[in-house]
Amino acid sequence: MSAHDEEWPPDADLMRPYSLTGGRTRPSRTDLALTAQVVSVPGSLPSGADPELELIVSLCVHPLSVAEVASRAGLPLGVTRVLLADLADRGCVVVHTSSWEYRRPDTATLRSVLERIREL
Amino acid sequence: MDGTWTVTESTLAGPVPDTLKIVVAGGFGAGKTTLVASLSETEALHTEERMTSISVGVDDLEGVEDKTTTTVALDFGRITLDPTTVVYLFGTPGQRRFSYMWEELVQGALGAVVLADTRRLADSFDSIDFFESRAVPFVVAVNCFDGHSTHRPEDVRTALDVSQHVPVLLCDARRRDSAKEVLAQLVSLVLRLAQADT
Ligand SMILES: Nc1nc2c(ncn2[C@@H]2O[C@H](COP(=O)(O)OP(=O)(O)O)[C@@H](O)[C@H]2O)c(=O)[nH]1
Ligand SMILES: [Mg+2]
Repeated sequence: MSAHDEEWPPDADLMRPYSLTGGRTRPSRTDLALTAQVVSVPGSLPSGADPELELIVSLCVHPLSVAEVASRAGLPLGVTRVLLADLADRGCVVVHTSSWEYRRPDTATLRSVLERIREL
Repeated sequence: MDGTWTVTESTLAGPVPDTLKIVVAGGFGAGKTTLVASLSETEALHTEERMTSISVGVDDLEGVEDKTTTTVALDFGRITLDPTTVVYLFGTPGQRRFSYMWEELVQGALGAVVLADTRRLADSFDSIDFFESRAVPFVVAVNCFDGHSTHRPEDVRTALDVSQHVPVLLCDARRRDSAKEVLAQLVSLVLRLAQADT
């Protein structure tokens, strides 16, 4: 708990990232679920882009969830979503929605998930 | 909600895993962060969000992180089951007043764990009501803070007034094997529901 308090920026610091988004708090797309996987497209971000965008693109060389992008970039979730949406619109990242975002996994999948949890 | 899901294939970076989301709820201090940390393969992760439309009212819980700020914190963890299947565990932030975050968390969730602290059982009512109202399958994990439970699961079930099909089990959120069993009970429940539907 106290580790959190030390690590987390105070509220004032959370204001600054919103300037990156030009004050926007809503992303331009709705597929950025917390667990959606983001993968960057190599060489797609022009040099001289904002360091935050460069950081995000470098984090997503391997698939990374939206929540993890926010956590690892140290940006609020809302800001991360706006930036990810911009990057996706520009073709710099691809967003993958889980097969199970809108429907429950089938019984075979659930059985194998259960088996693997027991093996952990 | 139905019929609109799509899968985008990527040839860019190898397989992109499908993800399962599990929500971990319960009152303040019930062990949510601990349970997520016990199960996560990474150090526990967190992110935060600024709240713009919340009026912070009287908070009777001591030590809640977001008591004097408009920042809501989200703890989460990850378990890679295989290269194509990753489970994410999200601790619910604060109280129900952060309801837009709760709504987002249950969207597409496989199910939920409600941690019940036997010293403050009533603190879990809020979570239980919420998951019942959203038809999210859940198990109740009774966190045995005193090391030995003075409560029997059936007594807790009665006290919480949850239906017979909701699994109620004792756990110690600090122990990985115990936390794993909680997760396994939840997936078993979802499997039973899926079998009943087919
Ligand atoms: N004795 C005991 N202590 C626990 C257990 N689970 C969590 N704790 C402790 O209870 C405190 C609150 O837990 P935490 O996970 O932060 O609760 P949260 O507010 O729900 O996230 C921490 O000091 C934990 O170490 C448990 O099963 N048994
Ligand atoms: Mg916590």
